[in-house]
Amino acid sequence: MSWEIAINRTINNNVPRVYSVLEKYPYILELAEQLRKAKLEVLKDLENYVEETVESVKRIGGVPHVVGNADEAKEEIRKIVGSRNRIVLGKSMVAYELGLRDYLSQIGKEVWETDLGEFLIQIAKEHPSHIIAPAIHMSKERAEDLVRKILGNLPEGATHEQIVMRVREFLRDKFINAEVGITGANAIAADTGSIILVENEGNIRFSTVSPSVHISVAGFEKIVPTLHHAMMEAMVQAAYAGLYPPTYVNLTSGPSSTGDIEMKRVSPAHGPREFHLVLVDNGRLRASKDSDLQEALLCIRCGRCHLHCPVYRVMDGSWGVPPYSGPMGAMWSYIVYNDAKPSTLCAHSGGCKEVCPMKINIPRVLEKIKYRYYREQRKS
Amino acid sequence: MESVISLVKESLRKYGMPFPVDKKVCSGWTNDLPRKGETVLFTSCMYQIEPVVPTLNRFSSMAGVLKGVIPLAKYLKPSKEEQARAYKILNNIANALRRQGITPAYLYEDEPYSGALLLEMGLLDDFRNHAMMVATFLKERGVKRVITVDPHTHNALSRYREFVDFDVEVLNYLELVEINRKVNEEFTIHDSCLYSRFLNLRGKYRDLLKSAGVNLVEDFLVTGKETSTCCGGPLAGVDRELSEKIAKRRAEELEKLSNKLLVACPICYVTLSPHFKGSIKDVAEVVL
Repeated sequence: MSWEIAINRTINNNVPRVYSVLEKYPYILELAEQLRKAKLEVLKDLENYVEETVESVKRIGGVPHVVGNADEAKEEIRKIVGSRNRIVLGKSMVAYELGLRDYLSQIGKEVWETDLGEFLIQIAKEHPSHIIAPAIHMSKERAEDLVRKILGNLPEGATHEQIVMRVREFLRDKFINAEVGITGANAIAADTGSIILVENEGNIRFSTVSPSVHISVAGFEKIVPTLHHAMMEAMVQAAYAGLYPPTYVNLTSGPSSTGDIEMKRVSPAHGPREFHLVLVDNGRLRASKDSDLQEALLCIRCGRCHLHCPVYRVMDGSWGVPPYSGPMGAMWSYIVYNDAKPSTLCAHSGGCKEVCPMKINIPRVLEKIKYRYYREQRKS
Repeated sequence: MESVISLVKESLRKYGMPFPVDKKVCSGWTNDLPRKGETVLFTSCMYQIEPVVPTLNRFSSMAGVLKGVIPLAKYLKPSKEEQARAYKILNNIANALRRQGITPAYLYEDEPYSGALLLEMGLLDDFRNHAMMVATFLKERGVKRVITVDPHTHNALSRYREFVDFDVEVLNYLELVEINRKVNEEFTIHDSCLYSRFLNLRGKYRDLLKSAGVNLVEDFLVTGKETSTCCGGPLAGVDRELSEKIAKRRAEELEKLSNKLLVACPICYVTLSPHFKGSIKDVAEVVL
């Protein structure tokens, strides 16, 4: 029952708002069209764009790391973290895909999710149920009970505002004392090596600026040709998520720096002294060369397809392999986990393709994955 | 799932349909259409047989009993009322076409299945083979144009060209007919996902309904092109429980708008009927 209440509230809160945003800011539609073209260009030549990104990150004083799979990624991040212990995370689906939080906890690090939704997921020991609102399956009442139980000091019948305030109090200390901040990236500019992060809470700013080390973990598909395109992706993602204008757009180009003494650029300044970009393949390169799957890599993770999908709406957020839920998740479960089974539950209702800002024909992609699934089943 | 695939393939082999069916049930709706012609009305037996599909789906998860079900199931027939309704819809469509000067041929017991279910289940190799068989059959019969009556058949035939050589024109009756009566009633509508979001026919039946004077109760979040959702029917063979959950939710949404519902697809009709508390009618029952 909790799911039904939560998803209905979410649809009513979010869907009309997205339409209103797109009506009010029609230039977003043009940006989405341009972005699709730019992202397709990258996908046709992904290896070279990865290489260009690596060179750009080096040029701005960052450290690039290109990893093939989850184990390589975790090992690389373990080395970067070293003996530092206190880690804050900004919500990253790729970090979740890699099992990064669990891994760091297992090797003895103190790790805290700082996005409110992801924090609720962490303390509930559950899986995310939506790509941008990971705790969408929790009603306010459930979130309230959870925060009271784990953090305490929350009155009965607490409001949304009181719940948020209690988590804020708890996380303040974690931000201030963190030694490493790990985030994802909404977009990566190949030409400058910059990453763009879109957020509303302010937790990503804290995570990227306060600790002395900032690690950004992102899939290859986040690369776009230029910084101009990366900014576009931020705007389009936020608008199609119904959160436009976003409260914050963070642009990070290497470690902190200053040019205030004789305009000589010196690093570090007040912010992180190290910036690492971990670029993750984990099936993406293969998918980029697969004409049936390439379109899936255009996904900008706005999460809009979820709310227009009849299957997602009734499935308790459990359709797909976490964190990849919903229609996009059924595609991505196959790309990164090689799990084709979620595709079999696509009812080809088509709402997802209608609302996708990247015009991904999700039902067609899933049809091809379904085909592979049954073909393999018959062989075995 | 393998059990459903086996059922579908065995039925196709034995009966030429994805479910065990007596072809006379499919063809019994008319005897006055010519058997030959360049333009053919293609029913794919969808309206005729869909009422018994939920009964078969109940057995679909029981792989062990399917072998026993197949010979028994061929005796499964729609009730007299269900059959009469399907036949009336098809006759309304045929008559509406004749009013437009189109007298299509009908292939009676020889009419092949479109292969829609194979396509929708992702059995693309089987769909390709089936499409090749149907394409050859239609070519041998000299068919140049088919007129479909339901979204699933229309979608399947429209996609043949992606898989095989197919130079037959595929039209849907909604593109050809005009209204036959004035209907000053209020309905809400559940769109076929295929008509609405894949086949660009959403506007066609809205135009017909508008011309007939139907007062269509629409709501942005319930009946919008991007916001309306599936009846759940296409998932019935894969996960019956999930299909029914979707249908129940969809019916509840629609009930808030009106207790009189219009559909344009036999699968939507059958899937929503157990859950929708008011009356449900097909567009072709109301305006033709």
